[in-house]
Amino acid sequence: MSEIYDIGYRHYDGPRLGRHHTVLALGVHSLRGVFGLGRPARSKIMPFSLAAIMMFPVVVSIATMAMIQQRVGDYSGYAVVMQAVVAIFLASQAPTVVAPDLRHRVLPLYLSRPVTITEYVGAKVAAMTVALFLLVAVPLTVMFVGDLLVDMPGPPPTGEYLGAVTMAAVLAVLLSTVGLALAALTPRRGLGVASVITVYLLSTGAAPMIYAALYESGYRSAGAWGWLINPFWLVDAAQVWLFGSTAHIPDGAYPGGPAPILIVLALIAAAMAVLSARYRKAASQ
Amino acid sequence: MHILAIEGLTKRFPTVTALDRLTVTVGPGVTGLVGANGAGKSTLIKILLGLLPVSEGRAAVLGLDAFTQSAEIRRLVGYMPEHECLPPDVSATELVVHLARMSGLPRTAARERAADVLRHVGLAEERYRPIGGYSTGMKQRVKLAQAIVHDPKLIFLDEPTNGLDPRGRDEMLTLIRRIGTEFGISVLVTSHLLGELERVCDHVIVIDSGRLLRSSAITEFTQATETITVEVEEGADALAGRLAELGQTVTPHGRMLLVKVRGPETYDAVRDATADLDLCLIRLEQGRNRIEDVFRGEAAHV
Repeated sequence: MSEIYDIGYRHYDGPRLGRHHTVLALGVHSLRGVFGLGRPARSKIMPFSLAAIMMFPVVVSIATMAMIQQRVGDYSGYAVVMQAVVAIFLASQAPTVVAPDLRHRVLPLYLSRPVTITEYVGAKVAAMTVALFLLVAVPLTVMFVGDLLVDMPGPPPTGEYLGAVTMAAVLAVLLSTVGLALAALTPRRGLGVASVITVYLLSTGAAPMIYAALYESGYRSAGAWGWLINPFWLVDAAQVWLFGSTAHIPDGAYPGGPAPILIVLALIAAAMAVLSARYRKAASQ
Repeated sequence: MHILAIEGLTKRFPTVTALDRLTVTVGPGVTGLVGANGAGKSTLIKILLGLLPVSEGRAAVLGLDAFTQSAEIRRLVGYMPEHECLPPDVSATELVVHLARMSGLPRTAARERAADVLRHVGLAEERYRPIGGYSTGMKQRVKLAQAIVHDPKLIFLDEPTNGLDPRGRDEMLTLIRRIGTEFGISVLVTSHLLGELERVCDHVIVIDSGRLLRSSAITEFTQATETITVEVEEGADALAGRLAELGQTVTPHGRMLLVKVRGPETYDAVRDATADLDLCLIRLEQGRNRIEDVFRGEAAHV
């Protein structure tokens, strides 16, 4: 039996660490949760298979560079090309970050500790952001390392690679705040998955339709704004303005100027406001 | 030092007043907070944790102001909510380790403390299995374990015996008593059942509709109402008559007689009366009146 040696209750007089420790611990805990680490094997299937799919273009790209000395696809367009996979990752994993604590009312156990709502939400957003960033930036980096090792003719596209990694970070913040805000509106995981994927599909479907409708009716410059409904094209438009890369859309061009990046910032702010309102309400229950 | 000092605390929700100018102090030890459902017990705990704003009044927990120093307070207290609050897909060990870290314990210390407290609350091998498969009693133990894992100075237990069967209730109450005495952690425990609190509490506070009805030490209740229960095989009426003649206060209670203890002479009177009447005494028991009875009596007098 386990209770042969009853040494009685022992008090704890060791160190009690501060806020950054708890927030970091919560962030790492949530990040592990996104990838299903420390969870049953079935929780790992989805995130790791999607991460593996993200590597396919990298493998193809390195192979063609090595064999026929040609680049297929570019760094700046990687996120747009792979957007469906990134979106599925967001839809399937964002609810696992927020839903269980809301559904099983675990929040009071955090809030009765030194953790505040802001820190809690901040740690969750940070975890999802890091996960999405890794999902996009790791393949980009592997591709770039491959590029350097193959030693293609001409200077290496370092600028484009760094721009793409920067935009991967921007995309990760945008997707994680909006995705978590959508997922946190319902305590049910399934509904969270459905709502995130629905919003993505609508935005993807609507963008070319709006563009075409406006273009056909003669509002050519207005049509360009239609592309910005989709978050991946929105961030791509910001990349075009910030880093001078080419636009990765089927047709037409983006509206120029700082508008896309301002829209990104406004969306992030709005999503954070929704998240904090949602959690303030949950906390007072 | 007062563990809790509450002064004129008022909390109004849009439709109800949950706390109405509540003023009360609590000392170390195990304190029971009793009231019907909706009396304001859970609201009071949430306010003391700094989770709910108040409308008026002041409160101090462990000498710290509940409104300006709530982060400090939450470092030193533990909380066991009334409702279910456990994620089903993690094990008790994982959850308690994680929550210990949320209280600021380093990783290794969190592991050791979690193993310790889970053993103290009586969870053995099952602590490695997902919580989803636990019985209500085991879940309540996990909730209690997470409340004490960071070795707090004070814990708030909101209806810890809710949903437990009589045996589980007994075990939970014994555990609470041990936490208050052996572990040296002050406890504020709520219940809507007075009877179960008298076993574990040093002090009882009764609130109703957010107002203080009574706050007193358990000994006050029991001293004031000490009785002995006498049971004889037959002839209880004769015995009651004889005891009354001897100047004792006797109340019949079914087959038994409750005799108010005036002093050692009461025991002598019972002995002499049964001997004189040649009755067969089958029970002579020191009965403490239940707190519930005291309140029932008080309510009857109002």
